[in-house]
Amino acid sequence: MRSAPPPPEGGGTTPDRSVPGTSATSSALVAGGGGDAGVTAVLPATAAKRPEITVVGDTSRAWRIRIAYFFLIAYALLMFVPFAWTVITSFKTLEDSVRLTIVPQPFTTAAWDYALNNLQPNIVQMFFNSFVIAIAVTITNVVLGSFAGYAFARLRFPGRGILFLLVLATLMIPDQLRMIPIYSIFNSIGFNKGVLQMVSIVIVLAISASSVFLLRQYFLTIPKDLEEAARIDGAGHWTTFLRVMLPLASPAIAAVTILQFQGTWNGFFWPFVLIRDQSLWTLPLGLTQFRLVGGFGTNWPPLMATVVLATVPILILYMFFQRYFVEGIAASGVKG
Amino acid sequence: MTAASQARPSKVASKRVGERQEALAGYALIAVPMLLFLVLNIGSILYAAFISLWQWNIRTGPVKFLGPNNYFNALKDPIFQSAVTNTIYYTVIWVPLTMALGLFLAVIVNQKIRGRTFFRGAFYFPAIASSAAISTIWIFIMNPFGLFNQVRGILGLNPLFSLIGFGPTQDWLGDYHTAMNGIIILNAWTTSGTFMIFYLAALQAIPHEVYEAAAIDGAGAWDTFRRITFPLLRPGHFFVATVGVIGGLQLFDQAVQIGNVDGAPANSLMTLVLYLYNAAFKRLQYGSAAAAGVLLFLIIFGATLIQRRLFEGREPTTA
Amino acid sequence: MHKRFLTLTFATMFLAAACGGTGESGAPSTGGTGGSGTPAESESAFDPASISGDVTLGQWESSPAEGTALKAALDAFAVKYPNIKVTQTTIPGDYRAAMVTKFGASDPPDLFYINAEYAPEWMSQGFLQSLDDYIQRQGFDTSPFFPDYLSIFQQDGVTYGLPKDGNTIAMAVNTDLVPNPPTTMDELVSVAQGLKGKSGLKAPMCLNPSLDRGLAFLYAQGGSLLNADGTASAIDTAESKTAVQWYMDLFKDGLGQTNTQLGDGWCGEALGKGDVAIAFEGGWLKGAMDAFPKIKWQFAEMPTGTSGTKVTINYTAAYGIGVDSKNKDQAWVLMQYLTGPEGMAKWTEGGIAVPSRSDVAVPAGFETIVKGADYAKPGSGFMPGYPDVLKAFGDAFLKQVTDKTYDAGPVIDATKTAITTALASQ
Repeated sequence: MRSAPPPPEGGGTTPDRSVPGTSATSSALVAGGGGDAGVTAVLPATAAKRPEITVVGDTSRAWRIRIAYFFLIAYALLMFVPFAWTVITSFKTLEDSVRLTIVPQPFTTAAWDYALNNLQPNIVQMFFNSFVIAIAVTITNVVLGSFAGYAFARLRFPGRGILFLLVLATLMIPDQLRMIPIYSIFNSIGFNKGVLQMVSIVIVLAISASSVFLLRQYFLTIPKDLEEAARIDGAGHWTTFLRVMLPLASPAIAAVTILQFQGTWNGFFWPFVLIRDQSLWTLPLGLTQFRLVGGFGTNWPPLMATVVLATVPILILYMFFQRYFVEGIAASGVKG
Repeated sequence: MTAASQARPSKVASKRVGERQEALAGYALIAVPMLLFLVLNIGSILYAAFISLWQWNIRTGPVKFLGPNNYFNALKDPIFQSAVTNTIYYTVIWVPLTMALGLFLAVIVNQKIRGRTFFRGAFYFPAIASSAAISTIWIFIMNPFGLFNQVRGILGLNPLFSLIGFGPTQDWLGDYHTAMNGIIILNAWTTSGTFMIFYLAALQAIPHEVYEAAAIDGAGAWDTFRRITFPLLRPGHFFVATVGVIGGLQLFDQAVQIGNVDGAPANSLMTLVLYLYNAAFKRLQYGSAAAAGVLLFLIIFGATLIQRRLFEGREPTTA
Repeated sequence: MHKRFLTLTFATMFLAAACGGTGESGAPSTGGTGGSGTPAESESAFDPASISGDVTLGQWESSPAEGTALKAALDAFAVKYPNIKVTQTTIPGDYRAAMVTKFGASDPPDLFYINAEYAPEWMSQGFLQSLDDYIQRQGFDTSPFFPDYLSIFQQDGVTYGLPKDGNTIAMAVNTDLVPNPPTTMDELVSVAQGLKGKSGLKAPMCLNPSLDRGLAFLYAQGGSLLNADGTASAIDTAESKTAVQWYMDLFKDGLGQTNTQLGDGWCGEALGKGDVAIAFEGGWLKGAMDAFPKIKWQFAEMPTGTSGTKVTINYTAAYGIGVDSKNKDQAWVLMQYLTGPEGMAKWTEGGIAVPSRSDVAVPAGFETIVKGADYAKPGSGFMPGYPDVLKAFGDAFLKQVTDKTYDAGPVIDATKTAITTALASQ
């Protein structure tokens, strides 16, 4: 998933970054900890008084909130308008689509008919293909990502630093550069027929450095005491990982789930390289083929219909998982 | 060897056994991922480094040993030079812009306001569609007779635009002066939500007491932000900037979808990855493409190291 | 441990890429089967009816209608050659990149499309199987092919592809606004002048700021890219300079705009939406205009310019077989059918494509296009490295139009440099 500027990929190269806040605060202020796991030293003065700090500057705060609301609503509108416009356009005729009419005149589902009938293979098949690959890639990323993330975060082994650097370096290699070698490899081991084509895509996408990085960051924030407690109880590394650490990492796992599913679902590149049978096409392939219906130019309404088709499943997924996901990225993104 | 250390050999021994077990566990857990990374990723860059020294026929392999000539030719090629300038221009503008946008949104959403979850979701929304879908929408909106130009006409903003040299049917994405900026704005829009979420996390790591103390000291909102919040966000800045730069230097999808494989209009959307792609698949000069790939890798790696120095190398400041 | 991984993977990749082929670039293997299927002796005649097996067909598909037309041709093929089974592989998106990847892995489809645009490169790199042997042994008659289509797919006297259809650039006019299509360039200019400022029109003509149409105008006005034997650039001769400036002046005088300036995806769309009255396109325009039933239009031959003779440019694509294709005999059987009179008729009769042979009936509405094939010069694939020349010209020209400086000088310079570089790298 390296098409659009990516969500959490890459990042720092120091495995054991200092906890945020300690390096930048003055001695007069509190030294912040790592969020929920942090212990804060409280100034004696504030501990004693605990005042209501809203007394000073109350009106300015109210104004700030009003301005904030204004910007928020304006910006939210900006987020939605293009997509709303896409949906509306998909119900218009070609002539109407270039006009600024909010209600289609006339309102027609012809574009949808055209899009659904002319997509090859049919839309259900493509949804299925996309789904199968996306699920598989998500599962492998969660499993392998948590293995590696935990190991890099909590286990000590020689060369850990260099290996993690290598992992991050994989983000610096564009897909286009590896296109031919990877195609050659899978071709030479015979993974170019039938279902093996999809397997080869899953293998290529099986683990992304961003998953490893994300989970590693999250594991770093889990207090060591929990691990030590498990160790004292006689648990080995594997049991500790499986029974103690993994359950605690659910926000990060949710984050990886959403990111990988979304990225794979929208991903065009590797299916383009590795799939030959049209019956195995994923949604982006079918939609690109439809879009590039060469020389027939920009037939906006059906084009917009296909955009909606491509986006709706992720939208649904996103609305369900939004809570976990946002907390997940938040929890693992920037803590030390 | 002192008497003390001799007295506890079993502890030392068991510690070493424990260490070895831990190391083995570590290697075991990273084995499969590392294998995949090495074969599918690291292997390619090494392979590319090798190929870059040859004139290489894609089908039959090495044709002629060229040594560093592919690198020299690339560096001398005006199209490569444009690719470098375009890519760097894009990264240098887009990364701070999106960071600022993301930070701005995060600070606002961080206040206790109603509908916070909704807004948070809404701002991330553009990032979930595929780049092809977003590019299609953007082309539609930025068409000379499309949504953006029509709306600004209706809002009476056209005189303002004329002042800076843009007529009422300015072809934003087809005019080579503005095409790259059009992509910067597009990508800032789509990624601002992601960066906002990273900053939100970093903001939430700052304990309330810090703000309380600042308020007691009489600091206003802007002062608090500038002198306390912003510096405390340094790990956040680092993460976001690094992520952004790595991604930005590899711009490809939107450049191809909005322009074409040639970096149209007039080479203004030629990026380094696009140059690589062209060298390999259009001009069939695989060695040259490999050289471009290696150069790109070095640029990204170098940029990441520089950022690490910038963000992590500074001494702590007193507020 | 890591070193071992690296060496192993490195070696794997190296092997994967390096194995296969002769180790020399640009030395295509002549004749021979090299794959599965009934081996035929080199000296004996080739009888297509005796071949059986499978063929994979690599293709792009520009429209659902095109898919239907191809299917019709393939169905007819199956009737005539029941022992050969064809499997289609449609490639979405960037066909060229996907095919090059397959060549790199020595894994091309048995039969595939080759666009004129990259035919010279594919031939030089040794990706394609020579067809001379098959042509000779079967006695396949290639004379009905329009020579300027076929020559694109020949290199050093060897034939590597047979054109599957062909298109020429013609003028398309909105008959309501241009009831009498101009026959000379001067007439074209005055007709366009008359249409300037007409209500409803954004511009009189839609023009491409690039050689992909500009080349036709360049030829018409007596200019040229290369000298007579194709060894040096001729873009900087006096005639060429005048021709390019003349084309530039069409933009300068507001007689033509680019499709992006008009807000359209391409000039055909501009014509269909009524943004312009004149466009220059090929046979593909006909199918596209079906989406704009309100516009009445017709093809007309390219106007003659100062060169005095009718000239236009063609675009074509061919079928080809890969050097590493596994079923070459079977692929040839399919190719000789699809490019033979029967198969091509099936392919083109629906009007989705225009025949590249003179012995195939011209589908209704394409008479002008086929007439153009008599005097069309290749619009691409006539010199190695043409894509770079195309890009150099286009980038420079577009800059002039965007900046409204309309000076052909920089365009000439950039193109000359590109041509010289392209010729030198051979």
